[in-house]
Amino acid sequence: MKKNKVYVTQSASISAAGLDNNTLFQNILDSYSGIQQKENYFQDLSPAIGLIQSNNTFYENLYLQIQEVIDKSNLENFSETILIIGSSVGGMNHTENLFLQTKDYTKIEPNLHNINAIFYLIEKKFSFQDCISFSTACTSSGNAIGYAYELLSKGIYKNALVVGIDQISQTTVGGFLSLGVLSSNPCKPFDTKRDGMNVAEAIATLLLQTESNEKCVEVCGVGYSSDAYHMTHPHPNGLGAQKSMNNALKSTGLGAKDIQYINAHGTGTQANDEAEANAIASIFGADVYVSSTKSITGHTLGAASALEAVICSLILEKQIIPQSTALETQENENITLSKDNIQTKIKYVMSNSFAFGGNNCSLILGAVV
Amino acid sequence: MKINLEILDVAFVMDKKEIQELKTKELIPKMVTRRRLTRAAKIAIYLANEVDYSDERIVFGSSFGELLATQTILNSISEEEKISPTHFQNSVYNTAISYLSILSNNTNEIVTISSGDNTSLNILKAGAVKALDGDELLLMGIETLNIPFIEDINSCIDYLECGVALRVKMTCELANMKLYDTNRLHIPKSLVELFNIADNYTAENKNIVEINV
Repeated sequence: MKKNKVYVTQSASISAAGLDNNTLFQNILDSYSGIQQKENYFQDLSPAIGLIQSNNTFYENLYLQIQEVIDKSNLENFSETILIIGSSVGGMNHTENLFLQTKDYTKIEPNLHNINAIFYLIEKKFSFQDCISFSTACTSSGNAIGYAYELLSKGIYKNALVVGIDQISQTTVGGFLSLGVLSSNPCKPFDTKRDGMNVAEAIATLLLQTESNEKCVEVCGVGYSSDAYHMTHPHPNGLGAQKSMNNALKSTGLGAKDIQYINAHGTGTQANDEAEANAIASIFGADVYVSSTKSITGHTLGAASALEAVICSLILEKQIIPQSTALETQENENITLSKDNIQTKIKYVMSNSFAFGGNNCSLILGAVV
Repeated sequence: MKINLEILDVAFVMDKKEIQELKTKELIPKMVTRRRLTRAAKIAIYLANEVDYSDERIVFGSSFGELLATQTILNSISEEEKISPTHFQNSVYNTAISYLSILSNNTNEIVTISSGDNTSLNILKAGAVKALDGDELLLMGIETLNIPFIEDINSCIDYLECGVALRVKMTCELANMKLYDTNRLHIPKSLVELFNIADNYTAENKNIVEINV
């Protein structure tokens, strides 16, 4: 089957690390973290989390971001565009607020509770040709981008708007606390002294099109896999991660040596980072620069893949590999973590996302020359 | 684009409260594993067994996901109790199908769709798009709404536990099934199209449905 080329032609983001793409990328380069310890956020505990610092409400920011993308694009409207949403919690924050205030189930609004709550709200402001939502925990927006790539490369659509979105909630913060994996400081991915992750919120939007423009990057391929190992722990050797990265390479026809940078899932937990580093080492050895940007953005859960796809697009545009913030002592010496910002020629980058249930997704983006 | 899917096998279960015959002890012999599974995971494992699933790629879907785990977590927060890590890991929308992947050692692509009332239609659309690659896929939709106080929220769904699975592949042959012959009322709208196909499936004939993506 002949495949169309697919490009990210516009993108926008808002996260704890910045209210727009430029601020986000500058903060990554400057190692300026958006993660802050929040006193007594959950019961009497004070984890370090990533909250969006904005005067707008969370959903006002969503509408503004979609409007920003269409305003910058070559589209007049979304009538020939499919909306593809990736979210792990949907409207959970809304349900929490209602229920914890009233303890009354009759107040809960099903349309504003589930994953489809995001579309329910978006369709009040924008009209799309069709919509689909993916919810695979922390790979939700990775699977959304992957599906957008499939639809466009197979000639079914010319435009897809991917929205990765997750709002912080007590369920997610308290849930990760129960697993004992939250840090009280910005996380230290791949460091010997890492002590956990930072739950965070974000909205990231990418317009994928079959027609390129001046500042676009190419979505070259996607690889998926399942760990089939444990609900929350990866295989120590990262077998599922290896398979998704190999599948991504296979889908593009590229080899390991063609990739210059990997934006790792790199949450800062003991198990994840060990498994991912082993997986990267087994395929790439020390021949590729690796970093995780989660010490700046936090782990934005279902929005993470989309946010990191935006970051990878900016890396390709600016031709700068970002440093590994907070890294002091590298645990796995068989991979090459970027210790400084590196201006270099970058043609292809990979972005990894891994999730509960052993759901894995690796994207490959490329510079358009 | 119109993509025709051949339906190779179907299975479905439903109950107004709790589906009884899921062969859980037979299909999941280890009690320690069985006890961790959600209702949706048990239904997923039953349905997969019924359609002779091996390790196909899976497109799974649920509009409301793991409501009981979510409700239990909310109650813990409300009572200022610790959240159970098992309930938290079981609260994600891909819980059921992840347990199936673990128990069947399926390391292939598995996605979970949650599109409200359009969930089963979108399972079919995504399944059709992925079936263009030429392999067989397992499509599955499950809702497990039988939780305490559901009557305070639900007024239109009689069957609180429902699950349906189809094993499919792409075909160039003409369609002979209609997607919209709605003949089941009072099941979750999120599963209607999948149930319609399962209802109209006949083992003696080829069953082909056209999906307009």
